[in-house]
Amino acid sequence: MSDKPFFSVDDLHVHFAGRSRLFRPTPPPVKAVNGISFSIEPHRTFGLVGESGSGKSTVARAILQLVDIQSGTITLDGEDVTKVSSGDELTFRSRVQAVLQDPFSSLNQVHQTRTIVGDAITRHFGINAGADRDEEVMTLLDEVGLSREFLDRYPYEMSGGQRQRISIARALAVKPELIIADEATSALDVSIQSQVINVLKRVQADTGVAYLFIAHDLEVVKHMSDEVGVMYLGYLVEKGDAEKIYNGPTHPYTEMLIASIPMPNPVVQAERRSLRQSFDNDAEPPSPASLPPGCPFENRCPVTMDICREEMPAPTIGHHGGEVRCHLHTSGPELGGESVVQFIESTARRSSTV
Amino acid sequence: MTTETSPTVEAPAPLAPEAPIEPAVDSPRRRFWRRMLRNPLAVFSMLWFLVLLVAWVAPDLIATHDPFKQDVTLQRLFETPSADHWLGTDQFGRDHYSRVIYGAGFAFRSILIAMSIAVGVGVPIGLFSGWKGGRFDRAVMWVNDVLFSLPIVLLAMAVIIVLTPSLTNAMIGVGIAMSTRFVRLTRAVTLAEKEELYVDAARITGISTPRILGRYIVPNLLPSLVIQAAIISGAIILIGATLSFLGIGANLDDPDWGVMLNRSQSIFRQEGVWQIVPAGMALVLTVLSFNLLGDAIRDALGRDASNNALTVTKRVSVAAAQTEHSPDALLSIRDMDVEFPGQAGQISEILNGVSLDLRAGETLGVVGESGSGKSMTMLSALGLTPAPGRMTRGSVRFDGRDVTNLSEAEWAKIRGKEIGVIFQEPIAVLNPAIKVGAQIAEPLRIHMGMSKADARERAAELLAEVRVPDPVRRLDQYPHEFSGGMAQRVGIAMALACEPKLLIADEPSTALDVTVQGQILDLISEVQERRQMGVILITHDLGVIAEAADRVLVMYGGQVVETASAHDVFLHPRHPYSHALLETMPQNHDGGGDLPVIDGMVPSATAWPSGCRFAPRCGFATDACVSAIPPLERVDNDLVRCVRHSEITFGQPVADQPVGGTA
Ligand SMILES: Nc1ncnc2c1ncn2[C@@H]1O[C@H](COP(=O)(O)OP(=O)(O)OP(=O)(O)O)[C@@H](O)[C@H]1O
Ligand code: SF4
Ligand code: SF4
Ligand SMILES: [Mg+2]
Repeated sequence: MSDKPFFSVDDLHVHFAGRSRLFRPTPPPVKAVNGISFSIEPHRTFGLVGESGSGKSTVARAILQLVDIQSGTITLDGEDVTKVSSGDELTFRSRVQAVLQDPFSSLNQVHQTRTIVGDAITRHFGINAGADRDEEVMTLLDEVGLSREFLDRYPYEMSGGQRQRISIARALAVKPELIIADEATSALDVSIQSQVINVLKRVQADTGVAYLFIAHDLEVVKHMSDEVGVMYLGYLVEKGDAEKIYNGPTHPYTEMLIASIPMPNPVVQAERRSLRQSFDNDAEPPSPASLPPGCPFENRCPVTMDICREEMPAPTIGHHGGEVRCHLHTSGPELGGESVVQFIESTARRSSTV
Repeated sequence: MTTETSPTVEAPAPLAPEAPIEPAVDSPRRRFWRRMLRNPLAVFSMLWFLVLLVAWVAPDLIATHDPFKQDVTLQRLFETPSADHWLGTDQFGRDHYSRVIYGAGFAFRSILIAMSIAVGVGVPIGLFSGWKGGRFDRAVMWVNDVLFSLPIVLLAMAVIIVLTPSLTNAMIGVGIAMSTRFVRLTRAVTLAEKEELYVDAARITGISTPRILGRYIVPNLLPSLVIQAAIISGAIILIGATLSFLGIGANLDDPDWGVMLNRSQSIFRQEGVWQIVPAGMALVLTVLSFNLLGDAIRDALGRDASNNALTVTKRVSVAAAQTEHSPDALLSIRDMDVEFPGQAGQISEILNGVSLDLRAGETLGVVGESGSGKSMTMLSALGLTPAPGRMTRGSVRFDGRDVTNLSEAEWAKIRGKEIGVIFQEPIAVLNPAIKVGAQIAEPLRIHMGMSKADARERAAELLAEVRVPDPVRRLDQYPHEFSGGMAQRVGIAMALACEPKLLIADEPSTALDVTVQGQILDLISEVQERRQMGVILITHDLGVIAEAADRVLVMYGGQVVETASAHDVFLHPRHPYSHALLETMPQNHDGGGDLPVIDGMVPSATAWPSGCRFAPRCGFATDACVSAIPPLERVDNDLVRCVRHSEITFGQPVADQPVGGTA
């Protein structure tokens, strides 16, 4: 049992069928997630980054059983949870919880905190509304750093950060072992975002809960995560230790993402800007309904080779010990000891001097 | 900004009004009733229902006669109103007034029967069908649509034929017919709510489906249901009356309004018009009241139009600014106050003493948390203060002209021509129904008087300038065919169309991916260099500011708290808020451990803290900070609003500096 991961996703595919219309050919399915695999252990955080439409939320929704999956397995303690019967659903729900993006629309406006958080307690522990349940709710409020007066508040009486903490309290109510946080801090101001991140980290230290932390902000993901996965058009193009990937990415797309983060320092940013510009080519990513046969990043990649247009690269081990899907590591030119960044920079330099 | 005349703004007068400014957080329920009671039509209809309610529950209390008691003497038939018979008598000498009163009971009973069937059948079907979706839903909707298209009276008659003619049976038929309306409504709301995040959240929590439907969807359905029910109640009464009038509803002796009309219409030609008035009036008033009530509820639940409409308030006597404008600035704002009327005549001050200067060819970054007044500053400077707000003090100069008091017509010649604006949601600004080329060409034709062909050619050039690949083909595409980044390029092309001297970009890259954001920033700075425009870049992302801005304006609580060169703001911030903002960025924090935070939250405009507005969250606050609003003081070429600025020095932001903390 011990060598099996606590939570793992294996070769997950999610397709959305095209809507068929009378007298028209059925459009091809949108391939939102294409063969994603990763695992998470208790006390650990796996971060998922990628641009909008890359399929991050769909992975989350597949795990939470809010969309049907095409193929693949999702296991919790070795048990395949894609096949949970409705009888076991409650058990699954009590082990896996979520904090979603928009703190305004993920809380029902017509209920007070007492009910929003309390309902989950009733459902999972059978404690009905009353003083006991309120006591439980207040303990949770303490945990997320809100005072007890928030028991009687409606969502519209709270700020974005406070609402997001209520969402966290609701997720914690069932004492989950895994929390999926999909853009949980994206809608918040920086100062409030850090408050919420600190709450999440403190909760993890206290309870050992595992996180799947999804965001488009690489800085935030890096701060939160032990391991990260980078998604591009439904593929996991790079995966590994957060710190190592951040400092030495092996996939050109990851490098492009990192180079694009603007730093709050004009001197530093002036340099980063030129690095970023070495990637720019104004091309748009292809539609997930008509993926190219080769590497999906092929039309934006600064070092595209012929093979990239023909074959999707298979996952290989990157020098950071994680996984990467890029032909540079298998059939490309000799990297000659250069990191991908150096390689790209020198290629860019070569092509700009020509 | 760096000119000699840059202002040292004194703490402005309105220190005292710590009054609620924006409508304070008000529970929806309270707001609903406040609005209802303010609407005379709503009050009228509610009063009428009160009368009917009493008439229904306790008719003998207000009736003056027995409604069935005929005048056996045949002396007092067909009377017009008198002291004894307030509304006269009918052909049997029965008291009209009392019969109308008793009729209310029949009306309400009809509504009760029909409505409980309509809602009881329609809502569950709609909920279930919408929730299930797919083939099941399509089948249900097909049947529903067929029933929906049948005349209601026909359905009622069908039921009467199967059962026996009676008002109750007729109303069962009406209820079934009306249930189709509720199926449609409920299904539509369910379909929409099903997509809401909070429903996902409930499913994740493990809440069972019936419970989600009952506790999560139905409460959100309730408002539309009530409105629909009110309007349908009016229709039910009318149909009931029609059926009775046709003789297939209530008994011919009953004091039912429809029956009363039926009996009187055959005789009113001989006996005078009055015979149809009492029942007719009762019917009309009731149906009308139901409709008025429905409308009133809809209005009272509706959002404030002023929240989203960009209507411009007429300016009334803008008090002059106290400080001089910088002579060489392209855009110069001095001492701008903007107020919004709140509840109970109180005034909410959204902007206070905002001043800024921007020179041609310069980029000014405006940064601050949400609600700090960034966008409002720009809107007000352009004469676009959203109603009911207004600019009460200050002056604005653009390109050497005083534009503080321009009329809307004069502004229309400047905005879109000399001043271009880029918005956060590019797709939202583009009209989905019009081809992109035509939308870019429009300002060219309006402001530059170009011909259609010239404008089109220029539009293609503009698209090429903002590096949209294949511009000519793209002219004929619709906005939905553009990705977010490409749509923003179109937005920039439109803003640039008339060669503006000033470009205002309000969060131009916030909705875009980080890789696309870089392209958009590059594009803006490229165009700026080529055209020597002034650019105001509003964003909450300090990284974006660091890349693109020459000078930075930091806003907090509707005030400017610091302006300085980008270099100074980032490397040697003078204001504790600027410093704290930098500290909270994860980019400035290496390794694990807690991120620095600014405790507490951004104050709301309804309750600014007294003195320095940052004081409750500032780690350096002292008594001096809260006694008066600190003036915006000049230090070298910069401005800073902090009483302790000379005592505090921040170096490059590092984690061990004190940040935030309560005073
Ligand atoms: N219900 C659906 N039907 C059809 N296509 C869908 C559906 N949900 C998502 N998609 C598509 O699947 C792809 C992945 O979407 P997803 O929402 O997972 O992206 P994301 O990375 O979370 O983006 P964002 O950062 O904008 O939230 C997109 O192309 C999206 O349009
Ligand atoms: S596989 Fe080829 S195109 Fe794709 S990222 Fe690697 S080098 Fe670039
Ligand atoms: S030190 Fe005082 S005046 Fe300066 S920001 Fe802090 S509270 Fe405001
Ligand atoms: Mg998403």
